[in-house]
This record gives sequence, C-alpha cells and structure tokens, in this order.
Amino acid sequence: MRNVIVFIEHSAGKPRRVSLEIATKAKELAAALGGKTHAVILGKGARAASDAVKAYPVDAIHISEDTEIDAFLVDPQVDYLEAVARAAGPALVLVPNTMAGRDAGSRLAARLGAGLTSDIVDLSVDSGKVNCVSPKLGGLTITTCAFKGEYGVAAIRPNSFKAVPGAGAGDVNELTKPAGKSYKMKIEDEVVEVAGELGVEESSVVVSGGRGLGGPEPFKTILKDLADALGGAVGASRAAVDAGWIPHSHQVGQTGKTISPSLYIAVGISGAIQHKVGMRTAGTIVAINKDAAVPIGEFADLLVVGDLFQIVPELTKAVTSNAAAHT
Amino acid sequence: MKIVVTVKLVPDTTADKRIDPATKRLVRTGETVLNPFDEYAIEAALQLKEKLGAETTVTVVTMAPERGKEVVRKALAMGADDALMLSDPGCEGSDVMGTAYALAGAIAKNGFDLVVCGTQSTDAITGELPGALAEFLGVPGLTYVRKLEIDGTTLRAERETDSGFLKVTTGLPAVVSVTKSINEPRYPSLKGIMGAKKKTIAPLTLAELALEHPIGSGGAKTELVALTDPPARGKGKVVEVSSGAEGAKVIMDFLHAKKLI
Repeated sequence: MRNVIVFIEHSAGKPRRVSLEIATKAKELAAALGGKTHAVILGKGARAASDAVKAYPVDAIHISEDTEIDAFLVDPQVDYLEAVARAAGPALVLVPNTMAGRDAGSRLAARLGAGLTSDIVDLSVDSGKVNCVSPKLGGLTITTCAFKGEYGVAAIRPNSFKAVPGAGAGDVNELTKPAGKSYKMKIEDEVVEVAGELGVEESSVVVSGGRGLGGPEPFKTILKDLADALGGAVGASRAAVDAGWIPHSHQVGQTGKTISPSLYIAVGISGAIQHKVGMRTAGTIVAINKDAAVPIGEFADLLVVGDLFQIVPELTKAVTSNAAAHT
Repeated sequence: MKIVVTVKLVPDTTADKRIDPATKRLVRTGETVLNPFDEYAIEAALQLKEKLGAETTVTVVTMAPERGKEVVRKALAMGADDALMLSDPGCEGSDVMGTAYALAGAIAKNGFDLVVCGTQSTDAITGELPGALAEFLGVPGLTYVRKLEIDGTTLRAERETDSGFLKVTTGLPAVVSVTKSINEPRYPSLKGIMGAKKKTIAPLTLAELALEHPIGSGGAKTELVALTDPPARGKGKVVEVSSGAEGAKVIMDFLHAKKLI
C-alpha cells in the first residue's frame, strides 16, 4: 500500500475533530510509504467541510454532496469510498473509530478484500508495512498488527493524535456518482436528543457519573455544568445507565465505550473492572467519591474524598472563573 | 421467518485473559462465557419470534471449538430453537474479516431472513463484524439498533447516533446489530435449561461450506507482530476534604500543575 485515504466524518459541514487528527497523521504515514493523502468528504455540507480540511496537510480532497448519501444509511458512503480507493490503488484507508466510521470501514474492507484493524491508538510504517497499535482485552494487552494485503482499513480511536494544520490541497475534486446503485436502508428521520455535544468517544475531557449521583437529575445539572465549563462530554457508568438515568450512548466501560480523553473525571463511580477497561488509557484520571476505599483510588491520579454534591458545583465555579481570567 | 443470531465465546471478564506469547493467539482454555452483548441479540430475536408466531425459528450460529458447546447451550436455554457450530481447526487464527466471511458462508447455507448480532464482543471490541457480515451476505446491514420492529418484510428500526437516533426502514433479508438499550435479556428458566439439552447443535466444517477464499491464519489479512504490556497505572494521590470549596481547590491546583486547564 502506498496512498493513504482518510474518511472525513463531519456534521453539517463541520469536520469532526477526530477526522482532522487522522488527516494530520495520514501525511506522516503517506510520506513514509511514498504516497499521497486523499481526504473523502461526503454528504450535505461536504463543500463547506472541505474548506476546513484545506487547512490540514492532505494532498487531494474528494467530495460529493449527492443527496442519496444523507437519505440512506452507510451504503452510498461505501460506494464513494470504494471508488476513491480503487482509483488510488493499493492504499491504507483510515476511518474514525466511531459508529459511522466503523460502519463504513467494515463494509469497505469486505468489498476491497482488505485487512481491518480497529480501535487503533497508534500507527507507524516499518519497511513498507503499516503497523497498527491497539489495546485489546480491556487494555490488558497492547497488540501491534500489520496488514498483509494491498489494502488495509484501520479505525482510529479519537484523541490518539493531535490535529495540526499544515500546507495542503488547493483543489477539490467532485466525485462522480457511482452508476447502477440502488439503496435500501432509508433514513426516515433524525432525532436529536442531546444537541451540540461531542460524544464521549471524541471529547478530550469527559466527566462521568455513577451510582453516587443517586438519580437522573444530577446528570443534567451539576455534571453537565462541569462538563460544559471544561468543554467536555458527560459520561456514565454501567450502574447509572442500567438504572435508566442516562442513555446508553454515554456509557463508558466494557459494555459501553472505550475512550482515551486527556482528562477523565469520575464522579461517584467506584471504578469496578468493567468501568476501568473503558477509561484506563485516559491521560489523567481524577475521581471524586465519598469513600476513600473505592477501587478507582488504586489507579486514579487524584482521588478527592468528599461530598460530590458540594465539590462538583464549586469546581464548576472555579473552572469558569479561571477561564474568564484567561480570556 | 428464519432468524439467525451470531454468538461468540469470550473469556470471562473476571478471569485472567492472556495471549500465548508463542502462538500470539488468545488463550481460550480458561473460563469462557457467552459474549455479554450477544444476550441482547438473542433476546431481540426471541421477542420477534414471540410476536411473529410459531413458524418463526431462531437459530444460533457460532464459530468455536467443540468445547464451546456448553456456552452455546445457554443461548438455547434462553429459548433459541437450535444451533449451528462451525468447529474446524482450519478456523484457528481467523481475523475479523475471516470470521465474518466464514459465518456468512454458514448463514447463507442455513438460509435466513434476518441476522441479529450483538454490537461487539468484549474481547476484541472491534464492532466490525456485523457490517462485514452484511457485505459478505449482500444484504442491508443496519447497525447499533436500539428498537426493532418487523412488519411483513419491512424492518423499522431506531439506530443510535452520538446525539440521538435515526429512524431507518429497510427490507428483509437483512443483518442488524443491537445495542444494550434494546431490551433486558431474560435469564434461562429451569425448563429452558432442561429443554436445551435436547436441542440440536449441528456441527459444521469448512469443507461443507466450500468457501471460495481461505480463512484461518492462512487467509488472515492482518498479522500480529508484537504484544506488549500496557504502561502501569499506579495509585495516585488521595486527599480527604471537608468542604466543596476545599475539594474544588485541590482539583484546580492539580489540573494547573498538570497544565490541563
């Protein structure tokens, strides 16, 4: 494989940060492979998103605003990605390790007969082979896998690389609609339950709540206020999700999401193994708990023992005034 | 209607999971359990069967060594009608694409109207199998479903997104993967456990599938080149505080020192 193709996930014309992180890393990989980087941006807002992507070091940007892309789930995206991959020749395709990224990536890999790696936190090129690093078995083992064939698809965990602007493409190539395709998974409606938030997978700061919050309200009030002040997302333990206090999409841990934010604040979470495997690779872990003997104390960088209902609002105030002092 | 549920045997989360340094494969001799995510898939299939009536069947399919039978029995005890077990030494060393390809072969041979998968497995956590399976079967692959209804040959689903959900309709046959929001899996009843002993677990070999491409370690598109231990994460600072303001100050000082704010 020589070229590197990056699937840019975007929301109404704004690229998700993980896509820009991947685009930045792609340049380094393509240089080592002796190839070029291609960004693929699909759906409504693709042109607007391409303006943002131009600030990053990609060699070519391919877009399509074909209305079928947003009218049908995943399949049109796979057709466009396949077309770019076949035109580019043997290539490494990088997708974000998000629901949409994994979906498109797995279908594309099957089409291309490609190898597929997922939840990748680091990539490197060694003697022309692309090595993918991923924590497996709940982070107990770090695996490095290499692709054997001409094509490889890797799903990259958000927050694994830094997005750094650099000289990139001037030209934007409008993709031709793949011929003879008809699609079956019709999107009838999109329902937004939590507007304008980054998901827990992608946020660099995650504030999670557990059983200690005692009910659904604190997730919407004190926890959300702190997450907002820090520019982060609200996460949750399995106990909180199973109790119906917050939707499953917020769950961090074995039956939820595995994440690597730079800061993870665990509020009223004991830190059982099922939770630990989802957040142990966070940069820094801060826990707030009334009990000094909780398991999370064994691996948190800081455990503050006290009343979360007093500490969290005070912390929000302190973060807010700190931010105000620096602007 | 023929419903097929894919299941996987995974190491028990409370057991010591490890990879054999010589073969670089997961040691599967320890306690194995039914992948927790698959219980939601089985429950979803059983609920559909209850609605659709007795002519609907639920078949569990897995790729696992012979000794995985007892784990498959749990799915039968929950209420699945029978099981297909692809147990073949040639499957060993399969990567996710090889597994999806072989399972697609087994499912196509069995026949299906709907395939229900769990979102992901708790060992590899790729979440990539359902999409690849759909592609190999050449049918729609509707993933991350939290609500599922079938009306004739129309499938209506709510598909989770990071900010809410999409309402999606598609036709059968199809592959769906379900999230844990979809249901609360039942526990096998005593009657179910007794009944499961009489249900068929049909063995299947690669020769019977006559797949076009090789699977197992020879067919894998990826190879494991290294295994390392994760950096140790030790016990940090523990500070007891007596007021909210004190707690906030401790955390702010810590975050400042770490240059996180």
